[in-house]
Amino acid sequence: MGITIRRATIHDIQAMQNANLHNLPENYQLKYYMYHILSWPQASYVATTYDDITPEADLYAEDDGKAEAEVPEIVTKDVEDPKGDTSYIDKGEKIVGYVLGKMDDDPDAQNRKAHGHITSLSVMRTYRRMGLAEKLMRQSLYAMCECYGAESVMLHVRKSNRAALNLYLALEFTTSSVEHSYYQDGEDANCMKLELKLEDLVPSKFQKGVEDDFSQDLI
Amino acid sequence: MSKLIQKKKVGAPILTNKEDENFYEALKLYDQLQHKKALKLVTASLKKNSNHAACLALKGCLNYQLGNKSEAEAPILKAIGKEPRNHYVNHLAGMYYKLIDNYEEAAKWMKAAVDNGSPNTGIIRDLAYVQTQIRDYKNLVVTRQQFLEKQPGYRANWTSVAVAHHMNGDHQQAYTTLQKIEDIIREHLNEGDRYEQSECILYKIQLIGESGLVEKALDQLEKDEREIKDKLAFLEMKGRYLLMLNRKKEASVVYRQLLKRNPDNVQFYILLETSLESASKPVEIRLKLFDKLASFYPKSDPPKFVPLLFLPASHPEFKSRVREYLLSQLKRGFPATFVNLKPLYKNLAKRAIIFDIVNEFHNLELSQFDPTVAVWTKFFLAQHYLYVNDLEKAEESINEAIEHTPTLVELYILKARIIKHKGDYELASAIMEEGRELDLQDRFINSKSTKYLLRANKVDQAIDTISLFTKLDKDAANGLKDLHVMQANWVLVESAEAYVRIYKNYVKQLQALEAKDEHEEGDKNIEEEKEEILENIDMYMGLALKRYNAIVKNFKIFFQDQYDFHSYCPRRGTPRDYVETLKWEDKIHTTPIYIRVIKGLSGIMFEIYDDQVRKHNAQLKELLEEEDTKSKKKSNGKKKLKSPKSQLIKKKSKLVPLVELEKDDQDPFGSKALSDLQNNANGKIMDILLELAKTVSDEDPMLKTPWEIVINVYLNEGKYVLALQAIRSLEKVMTRRGSAKSRLVGEYVLKLDESINKDTQINSAIAQVVSKSIIAAFPEFTKDAPDAFLAIYCQ
Repeated sequence: MGITIRRATIHDIQAMQNANLHNLPENYQLKYYMYHILSWPQASYVATTYDDITPEADLYAEDDGKAEAEVPEIVTKDVEDPKGDTSYIDKGEKIVGYVLGKMDDDPDAQNRKAHGHITSLSVMRTYRRMGLAEKLMRQSLYAMCECYGAESVMLHVRKSNRAALNLYLALEFTTSSVEHSYYQDGEDANCMKLELKLEDLVPSKFQKGVEDDFSQDLI
Repeated sequence: MSKLIQKKKVGAPILTNKEDENFYEALKLYDQLQHKKALKLVTASLKKNSNHAACLALKGCLNYQLGNKSEAEAPILKAIGKEPRNHYVNHLAGMYYKLIDNYEEAAKWMKAAVDNGSPNTGIIRDLAYVQTQIRDYKNLVVTRQQFLEKQPGYRANWTSVAVAHHMNGDHQQAYTTLQKIEDIIREHLNEGDRYEQSECILYKIQLIGESGLVEKALDQLEKDEREIKDKLAFLEMKGRYLLMLNRKKEASVVYRQLLKRNPDNVQFYILLETSLESASKPVEIRLKLFDKLASFYPKSDPPKFVPLLFLPASHPEFKSRVREYLLSQLKRGFPATFVNLKPLYKNLAKRAIIFDIVNEFHNLELSQFDPTVAVWTKFFLAQHYLYVNDLEKAEESINEAIEHTPTLVELYILKARIIKHKGDYELASAIMEEGRELDLQDRFINSKSTKYLLRANKVDQAIDTISLFTKLDKDAANGLKDLHVMQANWVLVESAEAYVRIYKNYVKQLQALEAKDEHEEGDKNIEEEKEEILENIDMYMGLALKRYNAIVKNFKIFFQDQYDFHSYCPRRGTPRDYVETLKWEDKIHTTPIYIRVIKGLSGIMFEIYDDQVRKHNAQLKELLEEEDTKSKKKSNGKKKLKSPKSQLIKKKSKLVPLVELEKDDQDPFGSKALSDLQNNANGKIMDILLELAKTVSDEDPMLKTPWEIVINVYLNEGKYVLALQAIRSLEKVMTRRGSAKSRLVGEYVLKLDESINKDTQINSAIAQVVSKSIIAAFPEFTKDAPDAFLAIYCQ
């Protein structure tokens, strides 16, 4: 489909900010995104589209010469600059979802246990239902556990946000407390938590496919 | 910012007079932020000795801190003039220029302070930050090294030196520095240092790789594996190095490991194919490969989608696979099904197959499925028709879908888009509103609705709509200030463009009125109407400028934002992403939205410039003709009003709270910004525009828009040689994008030639030189056959 899930970099943060402004009422200045990327570079992920992941050769792909030559008509070449839309980070590549993650830095904490925190997560409405949010979350959780030794992760969610609550339940988060009037508009937040164990978090595990044990050649 | 007085009183002078004593006392107060008290002392000293340079410099800083900004620089300059080698004066000057974001000057004076023997170590650190900010990497190396010698006990200082070397292009030195501290520190690491250790090791290996020693980099990577926490980076680097070393078989295993971690990253599939060299193998083999991968990762998209890209449309598998792919998505109700298939639409044969499948499914099979499938199928068809620009059919399909299920927000989003393509922005916006009302909790549809209101030029209503989701301060009339604080550039740019359309509409009205005026000279009503229109033109033009400028300012902030990270990242232990950030900042103005902004701004600025020229010519004409009977006639009508009608003042003052970008906005309507441009108050308008465009083309010369602006600026200014150079730069861009002999370039060549012909003041020798250069650069060009030229430059 040309939607790819990958680790967020500094090059993505303007479009992440844009997605956040489009989707959610809790917004942040760009510097806060910088702060995330430069403090916990491994914890955030994005979902981006590619108009064109096709190497030129594939556009003109032939039936290894046997079939009748079929030169597909290709729509005229695009000579314009990248689209001046705030969701675009480059030609044909726009950000349609993101998860912004961090670690809780508490220097005074008695126990040295590391805890992750999800600052913000959203997917553009027109790209929902494909499980992008879940995939973004799984990547972030895995990275927090692997790189920072996070033993648990925690997040806030609006009590009324059923879609989000369902997602977090599916990820096996549990509600640990309710924070009254947590949000600007007075709505309560469910504070949700998940214990992390690295070997259970490998993202591909949840697909329940045949496991690739690398023992066989692929071709 | 460094404190001026160090805790240890290094070098405190023994011999002091009263003024010196006062100065040190005031300095202490300055450091404690007791600015008023400090100023009292300094003023007293200067009364006795008005030449006390250090006191003068401090006074400048204090004036600035106390808000008396216009009287800050003068005393500092005076102090520098008197004692240019006094390190206190240097230090204060450096701090002042840092405060006003003049990093060039700040670096100069901070360096002077260090060179003139300031005992203060803090200033060395500050100097490093400003030198990084201005990318003076050559001197940064020296400064970071100086600081390291003062405080070698912190790893951060070593990392900083390494980054400085790296940015200065000396990978070897950077590597040596990192290796040295790594060896020193290895035995003393505790658990809390492990992350920093891992990042620094990866940075070190990255440096080895970047300097071309791929084998060594791979070797080191494997040696250090145990200490590396970022396994994703580890595997990505390993895979890349193996590919570079042509050890493809091993690389393929690495990409399989990567897929296991993240089977949704299409890049890993592509690189896996590279390492298996499968892309050049028969399609059947590639199909098998992806089927295998699909069995590993049944819920990931790429194993299913990538084959659709490489399978030829004529391959028997294509149709069955694409059918399976898209119908399964339709059945599951993915709003993005069409978007997901869109990359295939570049191939017309594939496009036709896809349409046939969906159309057939729609006509024959829908009854077997849940009714929602019908909606999503019609939704798909509508998008297809929109894509091929059959707007009638698109509307028909989406109407059917809405009739079927009138409560689905996505349908209204699409319908609004279709109507927008038909050119009816009002109606499109009304439909988006219908959609919004179906889900008032969702900000995404609210954002869409806001955007469509702006497209329909209903700015106030748009801002009211989006304000349902912004932070509202008690006394705020709407959420505009919050949007501004949150750097909502998309709202700002859409608003700016709406204001441009509004003022252009007024310009049209004015022209219509003036045409009428020819017949009914001196009609009082018409005069009044005209004045009101003129006022509106100015107001909306100013507002457009104001919104555009707000984005330009946001990008200044984005650039400033890096400052704190020059100290933070080395301490935090994230040098790799820090270095990436520096590179990102170096190209920040090539962000697509910024290019859209300078394009919009250039439209306004060219208009103002044309207006200036017209006015200038009219004045000349008047002078020449010395005839005053008809002198009331305006050049193009945009004459400033002597005094706006009281009604208008009232209207405007009511509007202020609605358009303010910040509290007590000094120029809420951008009218000062506008008149400054009109009067060249901050320099010539074409120079300002040139600067804006050059900033972008310097960062990336392969963009089209900035060159077009540059060409037009030079043509306006009669700088034909430079215009020709810019045209050639544009040609490079177009050629790179597969359009050699581009029509756009051809047209600019003709425009250049025409400008030279029209220019009555041009020196004929220069005209000849330029004409010759045009022919040298574009041999197909002949003066008397522009059509023949465009027949060649037609791409």
